[in-house]
Amino acid sequence: MSLAYITPSERFKKYLPKDYVELIDFGPFGKSQEEAGPGNMGQFKELMEEHPMCSGCWMAYYIRLIFASLPCPEETVTIGTAGCGRLAISQAAVPFIYGNYGDQNAMASGLTRAFRLRFPDKTKDVITIAGDGGTMDIGFSMTMHSWIRGERFTTIMLDNEVYGNTGGQSSGMSPKGAVLKMAPMGKDFEKMPATDLAKAAGCVYIVRMSPTNIKAAAKVIRRAIFVAREVGPTFIHAYTSCNIEYSIPTEDVFADAIELGKGRFKFDEYMTDEAKIVIERVEGEEKIARKARKAAKAEAVN
Amino acid sequence: MYYVAKVNSDMCAEYKCNTCTLYCPEANTLMFNKDGNTSWVDEDRCKGCALCVYVCTDMLDRNCITMEMAGHEE
Repeated sequence: MSLAYITPSERFKKYLPKDYVELIDFGPFGKSQEEAGPGNMGQFKELMEEHPMCSGCWMAYYIRLIFASLPCPEETVTIGTAGCGRLAISQAAVPFIYGNYGDQNAMASGLTRAFRLRFPDKTKDVITIAGDGGTMDIGFSMTMHSWIRGERFTTIMLDNEVYGNTGGQSSGMSPKGAVLKMAPMGKDFEKMPATDLAKAAGCVYIVRMSPTNIKAAAKVIRRAIFVAREVGPTFIHAYTSCNIEYSIPTEDVFADAIELGKGRFKFDEYMTDEAKIVIERVEGEEKIARKARKAAKAEAVN
Repeated sequence: MYYVAKVNSDMCAEYKCNTCTLYCPEANTLMFNKDGNTSWVDEDRCKGCALCVYVCTDMLDRNCITMEMAGHEE
């Protein structure tokens, strides 16, 4: 998709569904992050729509944040796999591809290569958003190999530390000793060191975090996408609790995320020197553009 | 019979704040009205998780959001 492709002509607007026209008029397509970004969610029509995820789901909140912080939503394709996350990701106005369980990174490898061949003059972003099972258990080989090959796209792991969609089996990412509905004796093994594996496999930008600070979380998502455009594979390991399987009362979900953000999901950012150069360049350009917009606005008022 | 969040708009308008709208897991549900400087809830979409109540009451100590029975009028 591109902006020209999704924008309808003025005269045709009255025949289109209201939701679609609202999305074009008040949505984030073609706008900057100050106009329609994570800082003012709730003041524009969001890409994500009503979804069937549980009440108080922290994963749904994080997916909403991902879609709000996309640098270029009209040029983005998301890829997902079975799991809770796809219920919300597929409800967004961004093309979504749903494959067999665990093959999201293999599909993304092909798709990024195809995009670079087909649209050499455009920047197309491919993002895989999958759960801990899809990324680190069943899709493990495809995830690792895509990183080892140095495929240039972003992998986001929504780590809820359990197979929440199928009744609470322990996953590779569950912490040791976690008592779950289908693991009543407690998990026997350690949690997989996802960020270390990513580092060993050659990811150039790796972050582990519990997304409680909106600004920091959005910055990380954008950095990962910018680096993936030019340098190599990027990986975000985000804590998105499952309040059903871990029996967290919905009003305490936020408190739990803050607590784990101090514990095993302590903010940890790794980047290579090439990635750092790209980040500094892009963020410098953004700063200049922001200042220019501010100056233009002030001039318009005067 | 279920609970939905309700914003006390008079109290909310006193603060220059849209923090609760940032932390709602539902999209296009807890919205911010820039003219009135207040948040408001689309009650048909609210799933009643009370995350916004945690943000407004426990984190910010402003107590503008309460959980009320859906469609209940005094």
